[in-house]
Amino acid sequence: MSITILKPGISASIQDFGRWNYQKYGIPVGGVMDKISSSIANIICGNEVNEGLLELTLHGTEIVFNEDAYCCISGEGCNAYINEIKIEFNRLIKIKAFSILKTKPTRHGCRAYLAIDGGFQVNKIMDSASTYVASGIGGINGKNLTTGDIIHFANTINKSVDHSTIQIGEKGFGYDNWHINFNHQHKNSNHTSIDCVKGPEWNLFNESSQHTLFNTSFTVSNDSNRMGYRLEGNELSLIHKQEMLSSAVAIGIIQVTPKGQPIILMADAQTIGGYPRIARICSADISKIAQCRPSDVISFNQITEDESYTKLRELDKRIDQLKISIEMTNR
Amino acid sequence: MIIPRIYSIHDRAITIEFSKIIDEHINMQVIVWQQEIESNPFPGFIECVPAYSSLTIYFGADCNIVELKNELQQKINIVENTTHLNIAEKKQGVQPIEIPVCYDIEFGFDLPWLTTHLNMSIEDIIQLHIENIYRVYMIGFIPGFPYMGILPSKLEVPRKQNPSLKIPAGSIGIAGKQTGIYPTEIPGGWQIIGRTPLTLFNKLNKPACLLKAGDNVRFIAISKKEFDQLQ
Repeated sequence: MSITILKPGISASIQDFGRWNYQKYGIPVGGVMDKISSSIANIICGNEVNEGLLELTLHGTEIVFNEDAYCCISGEGCNAYINEIKIEFNRLIKIKAFSILKTKPTRHGCRAYLAIDGGFQVNKIMDSASTYVASGIGGINGKNLTTGDIIHFANTINKSVDHSTIQIGEKGFGYDNWHINFNHQHKNSNHTSIDCVKGPEWNLFNESSQHTLFNTSFTVSNDSNRMGYRLEGNELSLIHKQEMLSSAVAIGIIQVTPKGQPIILMADAQTIGGYPRIARICSADISKIAQCRPSDVISFNQITEDESYTKLRELDKRIDQLKISIEMTNR
Repeated sequence: MIIPRIYSIHDRAITIEFSKIIDEHINMQVIVWQQEIESNPFPGFIECVPAYSSLTIYFGADCNIVELKNELQQKINIVENTTHLNIAEKKQGVQPIEIPVCYDIEFGFDLPWLTTHLNMSIEDIIQLHIENIYRVYMIGFIPGFPYMGILPSKLEVPRKQNPSLKIPAGSIGIAGKQTGIYPTEIPGGWQIIGRTPLTLFNKLNKPACLLKAGDNVRFIAISKKEFDQLQ
C-alpha cells in the first residue's frame, strides 16, 4: 500500500510532532508547523494526533494513490482536487486506487496536511519521522519529498473508526457523512492578529520599540521558512547595545537581530539562540503564524502569561473533545 | 550570591538563568541542576537543555507552568543555601575525553593567517591549544557542535568577517574565548586550526553525539599518517 509523489510542489515533507529529548545535543524539535490542522487531519483519520503526515507548503503537489485509502486534508494555503474535482477539507475521504490528488493556488494560508488512516510507514530517526532537512534527518532520506518518492502506508483499517459506509462515486472518491465544526480555519484575509507575551529581554528594549511591537504591523518577509519568520516593519532597538549569552530557545520566540529586525523562531530553528527576545507568541497561536505566507501582515496583541497558558489549555481541551466526539460517531 | 531568574520562553518551557557570564562554576551549577531534574523528573517533564549559564526545561500538557515556576523557585532557594551541588558535580567528568587532532596546514587552513595575527609560530599555537583541558559548556548551533572553553587569552581571535562557505566535518575552530568542533560540513566563521578524524555526530548512533555539556576535553596532536589511520 503506497502513494507516489508525482510533483512535490513548492515544498512537501513528512512531519509528526517532532524529535523530543535531543535538544541538548543540538538537534531541533522540528515537526509540524501548524499543530492544530495536522491534529485535525489525523483525528479525522482515526489516528493519534502526533502520527506522521505530509506537510504541503502552498501549492503544486501531485500525488497518485497506488491503492484504495482513507485520507483527510486539513489546513490552508491551497485548494485540493482529486481527479480534477475540487474536494472539501476536514472530511474523511475514501479514495480509489490510481486516483490523483493535486493542490492548486489559493490566496490565503500557507500549509495543508494530508493524513492517511493508519499512518505512513517511515523509519523513525531519534523517535520521530519528522524531516529535518538541514541535517538530513528523518522523512525519506532526510530530504523534502521529491518526484518519484514512494511512501508506504499501513494496510490496516483503524479499529476505532469504521469507514465502511463511504460510497466511492464515479470520480474515484467519496466522503463519510459527517462534518466537524472546529473553526480553526481562522483566515480569510492576509492580515493576522497574534497574541503575545512579553519576552525575557522586554525591559532591555526602549519605550518606542515596545510601543512599536504592539501598535504597528509587520510584514512577513520572503526570507521566511520552517526555521523562522523574518518580519519587516519599524526597527526595534535596545536601550543600550549589548551582546547576550546564548541560551536554549523554543518555537514562537520573537528575537531581534542587531539590525533591529524581529525573527519569529519556528519548528526547525536551532536549539540555541543569542539575540534578545522582546516577546514570545502564545503557544496556541503558533498555528496561525504557520499559516502566514510571505507578504502577509501580522499585528501583535499583548496578553499576560496566565492568559496565554489558559488559551493553550482551552485549545488542548477542544482538540481532545474533537477526538472523543469523532470516536463516538464511528462507534 | 546571584539569585537565579526564572522565566517562560513558551507556554510549556521555562528557563532558569543562573547568571549572564561564561564561568566554569556557573556552568557546573547548570549541569548539576540538569542532572538533578533528569534523575528526579516531575510529572510531565520532557527534557532539559543546558546552555552557558542557564537551563531550559520543557514539559507537557499535564504540568502547570505557574505551579512549576513556584516549585522550582522554592527548590532553588533551598538548594542554593547548601553546598551539596558542588560535590555532586565533582564526581563526573574527572577523566577528560581525548580528541586526536591533526594540526597540518592542509586541515588547519587558517593557521598561516593566525601566525601573523597572533605573532606566534604554528608550533606555539598548537602547544597552547593542546596544553589546556576544556569544558564543554553546551551543544548547539548544529547537531553535536560543542562550545568549549576557556581558550588561553593568547589565542583569542575574532570570528571571520566573511564566514567560510564550506568548513569540513571534524574541523577544530577557535573564536573569542571559545574552541569548537564542526561535526558536519557547513558554512562557519571560526578560525580553523586542525581536524579530528573522530565522528562528532551520527544520527544512527546512540547517543548520536560524542560529547555533551559538562564533559571535559583534551586535544592530542597527531600526524597526518595517524589521522589517515584513525579515519
